[in-house]
Amino acid sequence: MSQRNPFQVIRSTDQPPESLRKDVMGSVKMLMLIMRFAQLFMADYGNLLFDKVRLLGSKPKGTTPGDSSKDS
Amino acid sequence: MFRKKPKNASTLSDEDLVLELQREMDADRFGVLYDRYTAKVFQKCVGMTHDRDLAKDLTHDIFLKVFTGLSKFDHRSKFGTWLYSITYNYCLDHLRKSKRKQEDDIDEERGPSEHPEDAFEEQLLALRSERLLLVLEQVDPGDRAMLLMKYQDELSVKEIQDILGLSESAVKMRMLRARERALQAYHQLYREDA
Repeated sequence: MSQRNPFQVIRSTDQPPESLRKDVMGSVKMLMLIMRFAQLFMADYGNLLFDKVRLLGSKPKGTTPGDSSKDS
Repeated sequence: MFRKKPKNASTLSDEDLVLELQREMDADRFGVLYDRYTAKVFQKCVGMTHDRDLAKDLTHDIFLKVFTGLSKFDHRSKFGTWLYSITYNYCLDHLRKSKRKQEDDIDEERGPSEHPEDAFEEQLLALRSERLLLVLEQVDPGDRAMLLMKYQDELSVKEIQDILGLSESAVKMRMLRARERALQAYHQLYREDA
């Protein structure tokens, strides 16, 4: 076929604007920051919960671990 | 905080870069992927929307989507194919939402068209490029995407299947409908010439 595929003729050759890179990378860095903060918060929240569980589960002073005779 | 920096991110293959990013997010390494693909994504968005400003916004959102979705990339396809599928689907979603137009359900039961498939293809490929541009603006975004994938990006049916998540018969049926509707739009636009 001698005729050129018109879909190839209309293919866009536009280059993205320079400012786009700055925008995208700025948003990516912001996202990373938010993710880091979220990680930090979640880690602290987990620790807090863990401390609570330990406090509730801890034995009064004077009892040895695994000594169940004093409980009854 | 003395993290070991990668040797040279720009020499890594796409897949190795993605692996590194999956291990640890790093804006510089993501920047390398951005530089490799931004022109392609932007041009695809321009082709789909015919609007440079909108294409810029879509490209921005697509790269953020890629960044947040990198952990889900399972390396079963090439990174480029995965990015391509995100680009097409994101543009399609946007165009459909903005036009508030529901895509017609495909009637899989419908029998073969009375026109042979090849005749549609021949007529489409014989259109003048400036007319084709106008025709593509008239058709539904879904039809436009199908035609661009097939005739501009020269993707196989299998590749289109992967990108759109459709069966082989659904892809073929959609392609046939897209060609039919594009030619209908052409005849409406250029009735006098027909």
